[in-house]
Amino acid sequence: MKVDIGPVTRLEGHLSIETTIENNVITEAISKGEMFRGFEAFLKGRDPLDAQQITQRICGVCPYAHAIASSYAQENAYNLKVPPNGRILHNLIQGANHLYDYLLQFYQLAALDFIDVTAILGYKGNDTDLTTLRNWVKAEVSSDTSFPAAPFLPRLSGKYISDPDINVGALKHYIEALEIQKKANKASAIFGGKFPHATAIFPGGCTQNPSIDHIASYRSLITDVKDFIHKKYIPDLLAVAGGFPEYWEIGQSKGGFLSYGLLPFGPELDSKRLFAPGVLLNDKITPVDFDAIHEDVKYSNYSSPSGLKVRDGELTPSIHKKGAYSWVKAPRYQGEMIEVGPTARIMVDYLQNNNPKIRQLVDKFAGMAGIQAGNLNSVLGRHLCRAISAVVIADFLLEETERIDVKGPYMAEYNLPKSGEGFGATEASRGALLHYIKVENYKIEKYECVVPTTWNCSPKDDKDQPGALESALIGTTVENPKEQIEANRIVHSFDPCLGCAVH
Amino acid sequence: MINRREFLKMAACLSASFGISNFPEIVHAALKKIDPATIPKLIYLQGQSCTGCSISLLQAETPNAVSMITEYSKLSFHADLSATSGKQALDLIETYISGQAGEYFLAVEGTIPWGMPEACVIGGKPFAEYIDEAAKTMTGAIAIGTCATHGGIPAAEGNLTDAISLKEFYKRKKINPLLISIPGCPVHPDWVWKTIIDLVQVGVPELIEGQPKSFFSRKVHELCPRYHDFQQEIFAKKLGEKGCLFKLGCLGPDTHADCPTRWWNGGQTWCIDANAPCIGCASSQFASKKDFSFYRLFEQARIKTLENSK
Repeated sequence: MKVDIGPVTRLEGHLSIETTIENNVITEAISKGEMFRGFEAFLKGRDPLDAQQITQRICGVCPYAHAIASSYAQENAYNLKVPPNGRILHNLIQGANHLYDYLLQFYQLAALDFIDVTAILGYKGNDTDLTTLRNWVKAEVSSDTSFPAAPFLPRLSGKYISDPDINVGALKHYIEALEIQKKANKASAIFGGKFPHATAIFPGGCTQNPSIDHIASYRSLITDVKDFIHKKYIPDLLAVAGGFPEYWEIGQSKGGFLSYGLLPFGPELDSKRLFAPGVLLNDKITPVDFDAIHEDVKYSNYSSPSGLKVRDGELTPSIHKKGAYSWVKAPRYQGEMIEVGPTARIMVDYLQNNNPKIRQLVDKFAGMAGIQAGNLNSVLGRHLCRAISAVVIADFLLEETERIDVKGPYMAEYNLPKSGEGFGATEASRGALLHYIKVENYKIEKYECVVPTTWNCSPKDDKDQPGALESALIGTTVENPKEQIEANRIVHSFDPCLGCAVH
Repeated sequence: MINRREFLKMAACLSASFGISNFPEIVHAALKKIDPATIPKLIYLQGQSCTGCSISLLQAETPNAVSMITEYSKLSFHADLSATSGKQALDLIETYISGQAGEYFLAVEGTIPWGMPEACVIGGKPFAEYIDEAAKTMTGAIAIGTCATHGGIPAAEGNLTDAISLKEFYKRKKINPLLISIPGCPVHPDWVWKTIIDLVQVGVPELIEGQPKSFFSRKVHELCPRYHDFQQEIFAKKLGEKGCLFKLGCLGPDTHADCPTRWWNGGQTWCIDANAPCIGCASSQFASKKDFSFYRLFEQARIKTLENSK
C-alpha cells in the first residue's frame, strides 16, 4: 500500500514522502520537494555584491552559512586578500549560528518524536516554567477548544519515553533551549548586524569592528551556550538514546559521505579547517573535487539537461514533466549517491585523524553507548554528531576570540574586477554547502548553489539510485503505516531544509 | 452583543478613519483583561518562504515566544513547531479553513506563485487554494514579512513563478479581508507579536497602507543615530568605516521602519550599529529591480575603470 506521510512538519519548508508499505516495512520512498523559487534565475544580471544578501534568503534557518559560502566564492572571484580578523569574524558569526541550529534541531524539531509531552500533567514540583506549562495544558485539554494544547498536541501515535523525570526534564529544557538559542544568535548578530539575515557579512570580512566591548559580549553569550550544551543538551540526547537504542541501527543511508570542511584556521580558504574536508566513498577518503559533482534531473521538475556540472548548471522549470516528482535536483559525486551533514562531517574528519578532540569525543560516546563508528550512520548517530560538533565548535569559538588583533583590519581592501569566477565551500549545520559565482562586466553572469538538503532529500538520479533520505527510509519497519512515527524520526535526523534544497 | 470578528471588522474601519486612540474608554477597559477563550488562534502557513520570519519570531524577548503562543495567542498550527504531521496535520488545517473549528487568524509567511501554483504545494494541494478558501472563514489575515506583504526576494525581477504578496493575491481574487501587513526581511519579532497583543487587548491597531503605524510611520534615516553624521557630511567611504553609510548605498532614507530605536536580537545590535548599510528589507521595493543594487561598490569600480581608460 502507498501512504504519503506529508506534509512532514518540524523541518524547514515543504516536504512530502510517498512510501510503499508491505507487511509494515517501507519498500520504497519517494522524497518530494514541493516548493520552488528559482534563485539562480533571478540572481543573473544582478550586482555581484547583492549575492551574499540574496542567497541568505534561500534559508532563514541557516542564512549565515549562505552568506559565508557566497563570501568565499566572491573572495575567490575577486582575488581578495582577507585580513586575519576578517576570517576570524566570519568564523565567530558562522560558528555561533551552528550552535543555535543544533539546539533548535534537537529540542524544537526532533525531541517531540521521543518525549512524551503529556507527562507534564503529572508534574508535582514547583518549577515556574513547568507549573505554568502544566496548568496551561490542563486548562486547554479540559476546555472545549478545538485542538487543545496545540502546537504540542495532537501528535502521531507510537512509543514515547516512559520515564516521567526524563520527559519533564526534557520539556523544561525545550523551554530553556528557546532562551539559549537566542543567546547564540545574539552572539552572531554582534558581528552580523542582525539575525536572521545578516547585513554586516561581506566577502573579505565583516563591517563590525572587533572591539573589546563586542568581544566581551560575544564570549559571555557563547559561554552560556556552551554550558547548556554540556549540562543539558548532551545528557538529554543520551537519555533519548537510552530509551531508543534501536535507532543506532535505524535510518542508515546507503551511499558515500561528503564534507567541505568547516571553520578555517587562517585567512586563506585552503588553510587547515577545524573540521577537515573530504569525500568518503567505498571506505576511502579522497580530497574534494568540485568538478566531480553533477546534478541529475530525470525525476526533477526541470526540462534543462541532466547531469550538468555545477559551473554549467541550468534551470528551466517543467511542471508537467513525465515521471518527475520533486523540485529538488539530484546531485551525485562521481555518479555516487552521497549523504552530507553532521555524520559526514564527523566521519570524514575522524577517518583522517584531523581533529584530536573529535576522535576523542566519538570514541568516548561510542564507548558509552556501546556502538561502533559505523553506527554514526543512523538516526541517533546524526543527533550525536550534531552534539559533538556543538562541543567542538563552542570551544573553538572561545579560543578564536583570543586570536583577534583588536587594532588590526577586519575588512579586505576591495579592488573589484570586471570579471571573474569562484567556488565557495563550507559546512552549513545541515552539511556541505557549495556556491559558485561567475561575474561578467560587473554583473552576475551565473550563480549556482548545491545545498546540503539538495543532496540528502534528492530524488532518484538518472541511474535510478535513490537519494540519501530515500535510501535511509527503505527497509524501516513501521508500526502504524498510516502515521509512521518511525519514518518521521528518520526524516528529522537529517534536519531537512527544503527552502535550501530547491532554492 | 457583537462577536469578536464583527468587532475587529468594525475596529478596522474605525481605526482607519479615526485612529485607535479615539475609541471610547469603555472599549479599552472591556478588552484589557485577557479571556483565554477569546485569544486569537493562529493558523500559520508558509508559501514561498525561507522560514526566516518564523525563526525571527522565536527571537522575541518581552514577551518571549512561549508566552506569545500560550498567553496572547494560540499557535494552532505552525509547520516548524507543531507535533502533528502528515494527514493528521492536513485534517487540522482543513478543519479550521472549512470553518468547523471556530474563529481564527491566518498568518502567512512567503509569496504565492501566481503564475505557477505547482511551485508551492502543501500535502498535494497548491498553497494558493488554502489561502483562497481561508478567506471565506478567517477573522482576518496577517501577512508576515516582506515576501507576504510586497513580494520581496521571490518576486524579484526575473523570477520564474510570478510570485506575489498576499495583498496582491486577494486583490487579484477580488477579495477584501481584514489584512494586516508587517514587512521586514525578516520581520522583527516585536512588530508581529506586539500587533497581536494589540489585537488581543485593544483591537486592530492604526494602519498606514495596511501596516501598523506604530512601527512603520518613520523612515530609518529620520530616526538614525547617525543622522548627525549625515548633516555634517561625515560619510563612510569604505566598508567597515563609521559615519553615515549613505554613500555606500544605505537605503535608510527610503525605508519605513523603527529599527534605529528598536534594535534587533533583544536590543543587542542592528544593521547600522554594525556599520552595515540598510538594504531596505522592510521596503515595498526590497530587492525588486536588478539594476537597483544594495551597494555602490561595483558601480564605483566600473566608473573608475572607465575614467582610467579615457
